[in-house]
Amino acid sequence: MKSFLSFFSSVKLAIFLLIFITVASILGTLIPQQRSPGEYLDRYGDIANFLIRLEFTKLYQSWWFISLLFLFAVNILVCTLTRLSPKLRKAFQPKFETEKKKLLSLKTTASFKKNQNLEKTIPDVQKMLSSKHFRLKTDQNENTAFLLARKRVLGLFGSDIVHLGLLIIIIGGIISGLGGFRTSLNISEGETIPVPQADFKLRLDKFVTEYHPNGSVRDWKSTLTVLEDGSDVLSKTIEVNHPLSYKGSVFYQSSYGWDWKNPTVEIWAKKTNDPDFLKKFELGVGEKAQLVEENIEIAVINFVPDFIIGENNEIATRSLDPNNPAAYIEGWQEGKKVFSSWIFAKFPDFGRMHSDIETDLSFEFKDLKAAQYSGIQMAQDPGVNFIWVGCTLLMLGLFVAFFWPTREIKIILEESQNKTDVTAGGIAAKNREDFQSEFDNIMKSLRR
Amino acid sequence: MNESTLFLITFILYIVAAFFYFTYLFSKKDNLAKSGYTFAFAGLIVHTAALLLRTVESGHAPFTNMYESLSFLAWSAIFAYVLIEGKFKIKKAGPYFMLIVIGLMALASSPLMPKEATPLVPALQSYWLWLHVSVTLLGEAFFAVGFVTSIMYLVADSKEKKGMDVKSSLTAEKLDSISYRTIAIGFPLFTLGGLVFGMVWAYKAWGTYWSWDPKETWSLITWFVFALYLHTRVVMGWKGRRSALIAIIGFLAALFTYFGVNYLLAGLHSYA
Repeated sequence: MKSFLSFFSSVKLAIFLLIFITVASILGTLIPQQRSPGEYLDRYGDIANFLIRLEFTKLYQSWWFISLLFLFAVNILVCTLTRLSPKLRKAFQPKFETEKKKLLSLKTTASFKKNQNLEKTIPDVQKMLSSKHFRLKTDQNENTAFLLARKRVLGLFGSDIVHLGLLIIIIGGIISGLGGFRTSLNISEGETIPVPQADFKLRLDKFVTEYHPNGSVRDWKSTLTVLEDGSDVLSKTIEVNHPLSYKGSVFYQSSYGWDWKNPTVEIWAKKTNDPDFLKKFELGVGEKAQLVEENIEIAVINFVPDFIIGENNEIATRSLDPNNPAAYIEGWQEGKKVFSSWIFAKFPDFGRMHSDIETDLSFEFKDLKAAQYSGIQMAQDPGVNFIWVGCTLLMLGLFVAFFWPTREIKIILEESQNKTDVTAGGIAAKNREDFQSEFDNIMKSLRR
Repeated sequence: MNESTLFLITFILYIVAAFFYFTYLFSKKDNLAKSGYTFAFAGLIVHTAALLLRTVESGHAPFTNMYESLSFLAWSAIFAYVLIEGKFKIKKAGPYFMLIVIGLMALASSPLMPKEATPLVPALQSYWLWLHVSVTLLGEAFFAVGFVTSIMYLVADSKEKKGMDVKSSLTAEKLDSISYRTIAIGFPLFTLGGLVFGMVWAYKAWGTYWSWDPKETWSLITWFVFALYLHTRVVMGWKGRRSALIAIIGFLAALFTYFGVNYLLAGLHSYA
């Protein structure tokens, strides 16, 4: 246990770990992270497998990097605790200095004679130091007095507050890593979806994109409603930088797109022999419409956004973008299929109608519309509050450590022949130059 | 008077300031350094006006592309320098520091940097843009001052070691202490702006406060280097050469975070 403590309380270990973590972090920015094994093979050739096995390809999540962070956390904790008790003693049980010699061996000192007796000198010194915001303790004997003046005692603990903040941040990071959950949700207007890992649902009421005058996107806004047990609980319009938070789940506007898998297809029916004949339909996949006079029912059976004929002659889509939209339609008459055809939005002449009956009907794929969906990033992060508490402590500690330096002045007053010998020593751990001039000023006005 | 005219006037004022500082360096006449300081200060005021005008004209914070960001970094650098010279009387650092500032201004005015203000992409429309970028760059500006004083330390130290008679009140020991105190200002600012505000904004915009994006990681690396600087110094009593070297490495890491990451490593921060 003792050797454990002395190992982890060493600042050398802290420095070693700091350098190690820094070098590892640099490596992680040089090797692209979380790519496919093939990409690493192309990039690094023979050493790719080695890199993957040592988890250099997901370095920040690797067992060894996390172990380093863990060791670092233990190191910070032990270092801070072992240095804490002498500091606490110093802060709460301060001692008077009773030996002049020791006072005079300090870096900042003064000694002079004052032409008045002890009774008069003590309140003068006290008043002076109080006016400089020092807190005083006085111990008086017959013809000597000891004074202890201190201010900004909190300054002793700046680094400890920083370290506490860091530990809380690391704990928060671990909680986020273990208990956090992220996913992206695509919701179309009007759609309600169950929220993963939560007991409520989410509905997108409205989705708008706003533009700058030059045509670039200014903002995306999604009006979301939270539903619990089928009834609306709350509504909020989210936009980039303004998420919705509900019961530990946070919803961020992150992207948008069109649902090209299920669009509405606009079809025009024409007749070769009758130029005035024109009927327009707007149909979704699986929907039907009637051509009453012709006694024909047409249906859109299938749709692909980017038509391609695959290797085995099957129809497929090359992508989810509407690069070559094609719809498969069928015509039915009295319960019998009478014709079918693929029709193409970009190639109106390409369609071939397979027909069992005589007809001069032709169909054109004129347009298609898709519902716009809103891309919402969902995150559950149980560690995040630790992070904010840790960050607050970190900043508070840094401020205290750098700008709230403890000041301590110890004074011995000794009366002889109605005069008082003043011996003073000052202690400052930081910004000694500033303290020196403050000390000198105080002594100068005390001499008067 | 438009923003680019003001920018040009600023640039000229900085060059004049550098000229005076350099003549001071060779002639050792204190008045010349004073003139340098005055011109740098005048430049700071015109530069402030230029940044304000840019903000009014574009309707957003003046650091959303490389031109704006370089100009703001130069502003922060002068701001930090004017403060530090005022406090620690380091006018000898003036000429070297002005070179860095002129370098930044020259880069900003190079034709490679698009200057027109474009509307902000949705992710950047947040008051966190102000807080995150301005405080971070201000912190980095203090690191830049510490970088210059650390290099000056190394030079002064080797001169003193060779027994050369340096007739200057700015001793190596003093430079070492000024470097420390400058970093003691830069470090909390960088921590607050770069890391803390960065995490808060990332959480608000992306739903995650940390994603090991190269810019984030390099800010952390910079932070680690300066943490190393502080610990070796305060706990292990390192001073002088080794301390100065760490401060120099720290500034170079900050510089890489600011520049290098954008051009060499891809990531979430691709817009700035």
